[in-house]
Amino acid sequence: MDWTEILRFSRGPLFHFSLVIFIAGMTYRLVRIIFLGWEKDRVKSQGSKLSGVIISYLKGLIILPFIPWVRRTFKNNALTFIAGGLFHLSLFLVLIFGEAHILVWQSLFGVSWAPMPNPIVDWVAAAGIVSLIILLINRLTHPVLRLLTRLPAWINWTMVFLPFVTGYIMYHHLWFPYEVIFSLHLIFVCLLLIWIPFSRMSHFLFYFFSRTIHGARAGKRAVTP
Amino acid sequence: MKTASALNTYLKETGGWVAAQLEACTRCGICAEACHFYQALGNPEYAPVWKLEPLRRAYEQRFTLAGKVKLALGMEKRLTDSDLEHWSQIVYEACTVCDKCAFVCPMGIEIGPLIHKVRTGLAAAGLVPGDLAEATDKQKTIGSPLGVTDEMWRERIDWITDEWEATIPVDKAGAETLMVFTSIELMKFPDNLALIAKILNKAGENWTVSSRGREVVNFGFFEADEELTKLFMHRVFQAAEELGVKRLVISECGHAYEAFRWTAPNIMKVPEGLEIIHITELIHQYWKTGRIKIKEGAFDGETITFHDSCKIQRLGGLIKQPREILQVLAPTSFKEMTPNKEQSMCCGGGGGVISIKEADSNRYKVFEMKLEQLQDIGAQAVCMVCSNCRLQFVDSLAHFNSAVKVHSLAELVARALI
Repeated sequence: MDWTEILRFSRGPLFHFSLVIFIAGMTYRLVRIIFLGWEKDRVKSQGSKLSGVIISYLKGLIILPFIPWVRRTFKNNALTFIAGGLFHLSLFLVLIFGEAHILVWQSLFGVSWAPMPNPIVDWVAAAGIVSLIILLINRLTHPVLRLLTRLPAWINWTMVFLPFVTGYIMYHHLWFPYEVIFSLHLIFVCLLLIWIPFSRMSHFLFYFFSRTIHGARAGKRAVTP
Repeated sequence: MKTASALNTYLKETGGWVAAQLEACTRCGICAEACHFYQALGNPEYAPVWKLEPLRRAYEQRFTLAGKVKLALGMEKRLTDSDLEHWSQIVYEACTVCDKCAFVCPMGIEIGPLIHKVRTGLAAAGLVPGDLAEATDKQKTIGSPLGVTDEMWRERIDWITDEWEATIPVDKAGAETLMVFTSIELMKFPDNLALIAKILNKAGENWTVSSRGREVVNFGFFEADEELTKLFMHRVFQAAEELGVKRLVISECGHAYEAFRWTAPNIMKVPEGLEIIHITELIHQYWKTGRIKIKEGAFDGETITFHDSCKIQRLGGLIKQPREILQVLAPTSFKEMTPNKEQSMCCGGGGGVISIKEADSNRYKVFEMKLEQLQDIGAQAVCMVCSNCRLQFVDSLAHFNSAVKVHSLAELVARALI
């Protein structure tokens, strides 16, 4: 089997198989959580749950040092916030506005949109890769993170790092023949998709539960989340 | 055996609410920097997320595929009795369930209430630290964690009535408001009891205390034993029903406020139509509606600050009320500590920590940070609305030979009444 064939396999059957696992896995996890049962809250509210939820999401999205109610949180964890925030930003921008990725979205959903200029996406991707390396070093050295981190977390890191770095190499046509690096990029993306439902990377879904719960609870008690 | 009881409790307690939040954790470790015990003592095991470890393991190993696989592959171990004993020290002696961690978590995970659930399992396993268990037992059998018997209670109320010339109606049928105090106030800060009585009388309140429902503190809630939590609140609710009151006023106690106001309706029957409020709200209402008048600037002069109690301010939302009153009492010398309000740092004595002798060194170490915050603004006095915080402040300030004076808000208001 040559690389052209591997490429055809990984962008075709493998990719679709991974998508199915990803969607089925996440659906299973979502449904399971919902059916674990939710107790009814009978406590009288003091403030507005809705406004609490709105502030909770705003806070979750824009943790910036100049916002008074998150300033301290930011200051005490500057590295995690800057590197973590930059990584997520980079991930979304590259995934949604990268020219090549838009083609993938188009093939899946039939819609497309204007890409970001390639040099910008390039810098954003580089920032994402650097952030990941910084986060890895932090995880290797911070005493709390060392205590918390087990094998799955290292796998998580690797699973995210590989698609990022292979995509970057591919864009710059470095070292590998195009078919090889393209295939590797796709294979790593597929591995990531399959891995997500089995790992804490599924937090992208449960984020909406926890932020809503926190916002509603704080709003109910008339405090800023 | 112990592990089995704890595990059963965890499985029983695990609904979507718990599971969704445990699943959301990305293990970023940011919560550690919010925890005053971690900040003061530097032990990574005090990171709030690590305190959830028994609950997480129980949940994953029982409910999730990944957890089962990890268990089968030996990547994770089953909980053992010695694990639980280890975590008993962490969650009872190095956590006040202040819930500040929930306010910094990027995912917004309610870590405090989840730690409460970890405690519930440990309580079921009989792994509550000795001192805390003993005080809880006293509350169960005698009616007060400090061992105040019915007779002692009556004598004490009589003595306070004489000493401060305060009128304290006992078991008055037809009263509108039932006022329930803490044993800490009764035994350690009796003036608080007398001065609150003075405020209520001045406002012309039709109120009473009850000899049956005489303890507002809830050591079952500290332990997180749900049956005891209910039992201790039931005593008060029963008294409220018998006396036919419309309103239950929680004295200066944070945990009790959390238990009565925010927890009771979800775990037990609350007498219909009974309004439950904190004394701070009541005093603020009296002042707003003109039922009491306070002397403006009565405490102006020495720098006074306000300590936010976790359960009353960060989690109870009574943030502006005490401040509005302090602005009147000390318009020029009232100063905020940093951090404050929702972001304030717990005193270190809450959640039952102050009742555990083994936790004393933790408690003092945490208080050093509070002391620095006081010193940073040159505070000469500090005011608060929780007797448990007050006990921690009085004890720790003495420990560090600090001259900062400690007041309750009710005390200041009563002394400034016109």
